[in-house]
Amino acid sequence: MAHRFLARRIWTLSVTDVRCLPSSAVASSSRASFLAPSRTLAVSHAVRRAVSFNVQDNEDFTERVINSDLPVLVDFHAQWCGPCKILGPRLEKAVAKQKGRVAMAKVDIDDHTDLAIEYGVSAVPTVIAMRGGDIVDRFVGIKDDDQLDSFVCKVIGQ
Amino acid sequence: MPPIEKDTGKNELKTKIQKLIDSNQVVVFSKSYCPYCIQVKDLFKELKIEFNVMELDLMENGSNYQEMLLEMTGQRTVPQVFINKTHVGGCDKTMQAHKDGSLQQLLSGEKEVYDYDLIVIGGGSGGLACSKEAAMLGKKVMVLDYVVPTPTGTTWGLGGTCVNVGCIPKKLMHQTALLATAIQDARKFGWEFDESVKHNWDTMKTAVNSYIGSLNWGYRVALRDKNVDYVNAYAEFIEPHKIKATNKRGKETFHTAARFVLATGERPRYLGVPGDKEYCITSDDLFSLSYCPGKTLVIGASYVALECGGFLAGLGLDVTVMVRSILLRGFDQEMANRAGAHMETHGVKFIRKFVPTKIEQLEEGSPGRLKVTAKSTETDETIEDEYNTVLIAVGRNACTDKIGLDKAGVKVNPKNGKIPVNDEEQTNVPHIYAIGDILEEKWELTPVAIQAGKLLARRLYGGSTVKCDYIHVPTTVFTPLEYGACGLSEERATELYGPDNIEVYHSLFWPLEFTVPSRDNNQCYAKIICNKLDSDRVVGFHYLGPNAGEVTQGFGAAMKCGATKEHFDATIGIHPTCAEVFTTLEVSKRSGGDITQSGC
Repeated sequence: MAHRFLARRIWTLSVTDVRCLPSSAVASSSRASFLAPSRTLAVSHAVRRAVSFNVQDNEDFTERVINSDLPVLVDFHAQWCGPCKILGPRLEKAVAKQKGRVAMAKVDIDDHTDLAIEYGVSAVPTVIAMRGGDIVDRFVGIKDDDQLDSFVCKVIGQ
Repeated sequence: MPPIEKDTGKNELKTKIQKLIDSNQVVVFSKSYCPYCIQVKDLFKELKIEFNVMELDLMENGSNYQEMLLEMTGQRTVPQVFINKTHVGGCDKTMQAHKDGSLQQLLSGEKEVYDYDLIVIGGGSGGLACSKEAAMLGKKVMVLDYVVPTPTGTTWGLGGTCVNVGCIPKKLMHQTALLATAIQDARKFGWEFDESVKHNWDTMKTAVNSYIGSLNWGYRVALRDKNVDYVNAYAEFIEPHKIKATNKRGKETFHTAARFVLATGERPRYLGVPGDKEYCITSDDLFSLSYCPGKTLVIGASYVALECGGFLAGLGLDVTVMVRSILLRGFDQEMANRAGAHMETHGVKFIRKFVPTKIEQLEEGSPGRLKVTAKSTETDETIEDEYNTVLIAVGRNACTDKIGLDKAGVKVNPKNGKIPVNDEEQTNVPHIYAIGDILEEKWELTPVAIQAGKLLARRLYGGSTVKCDYIHVPTTVFTPLEYGACGLSEERATELYGPDNIEVYHSLFWPLEFTVPSRDNNQCYAKIICNKLDSDRVVGFHYLGPNAGEVTQGFGAAMKCGATKEHFDATIGIHPTCAEVFTTLEVSKRSGGDITQSGC
């Protein structure tokens, strides 16, 4: 719990940072324009219900994962990781089966290294299940469809 | 259960010793006859510092003192030196503390509080090894790493040159080229396949860089797991114990440490002629180039030049190497020339004794078209030609000029930017050390930097006295025909021992795998240099042939053990291999005997 609060506090600070320094956001224009809509969308109900989404930054992670009403499966993956490319679609399928009772967040560990380091990711794919901001389960590596279904069911408490 | 009285006695003794330590600036627990104790006492006399000495061998209960000291400090041996209540340790530690200035600091009583025990500048092989080792020994350690983008904008992740733009991608691309030869050989061994064989640069580049990505991540995780603080920022000294770190967003942070290790490595040198930075690339760019480089001019004859030129030619590209003077400076020249000759017979063109004077762009593109003008080093002749890509590989510069070394007072060789250190990798500033490619007159090799970094951390924090041995370092140049070496070149051995005192044994050989495709006969070559004044000890080992790294590694171990020609001769060969040639070397160079292999 303490860890979670700490994380929230740090990220709230970082949000303020970004807002205080608009120039830094403008400097990387492609990134800024990429971030802007996601911030607006994050509050919309539709996106919260979307099956899966790519985490854009720490702020986005806080909003859509830690503060999510739904349980969220966080798929830490990397471009260079072969097994991730197999697991990703399988996990997406397993999440889709639950018809909105669970969300899936995708975190590219090279783009968001600090997040991955913070959450203790050592190898990819690592999947962390979060509910109410707490880590409730996790696994590393590949699983088949049945295993994923039961993992997802366990997370949403069925 | 021991009697209570004895325990009371023990406690009394402990209080007595503690009082002694607390009430004297310097206490030396010593034995009157011990030479190390004398050395320590002499040091304090020389420094004109008063000290309280307890000669344990002259005291009735001296052995009890020694037992208690063991309990209190974990050290049984004498001398044991305490300064201002701090346990310095034995003779080596005291001398070391004197050398690195921490003794003076303890004596003056001012204990500076630093953020870190150790800050390592540079997250390459050496820096990472050193920082992880220091952290494992319980120290608070920070590593700073920052890749300044190349003129064309290439940048990369954690791990330094070897992982990102050196050994790793180089060897994988060399392997790509070797596979092309294997495909040609395959037909001779009966494999039948359709005529068209093509190479896809993008597939190779993506695969290689994916692997590098996983290594970058692995290094990051290792730092976290070993509790090393990592900051992706450019570090520069602003005071001898303080650095400024600037991250890519320009945010500055400041950190202090008791000690520093410089491990910033080197970056490719440019030519200083018009168009070099604008249109040319270096090895920093090549391995992640988004397009196949096409017709390529490699400038330079360093191992980087020959390796890159070699694998590009192996991919089927039109490759020319422009050489100012000699190939592989510093390596055995006979071996260098044989490796070069092999490249020449396999389609690499060499332009010798020419240097480029300007590079102009004829057409933009991926790749574009460039015009290179070069002039002879001997005559007034100039030549021009067109290439798609120009790769500069004329050497590397130490990254020591923009890290505020002047602020810390660290001496740098003004000619090459290299840092002179003593045999313990210590710079002229006692609390600043340096390892890896930035050292003067030391090997520029990843495993050497790793070894030096690890051993340095163990000496600083683990009570070790083991120094890095820079002699008998095995290495391999991954030219198309690989060249492995350990120890001295023939030139250096001749210079060191005199031509009459060395015996050189050599032989050409034909790898069994080359016989069926009937290629490259009399190109592979083995040579050892023996010191006649020292039981024919093998002081130089040279191998030109396939799998040179694998072959040389084991012989490196043998040379570390001091192997002689007799040992080589007494070794049973593994048949049929290339390496077995070293167990049957009979022809000495002096004899002029025939070493060519003819038929069966």
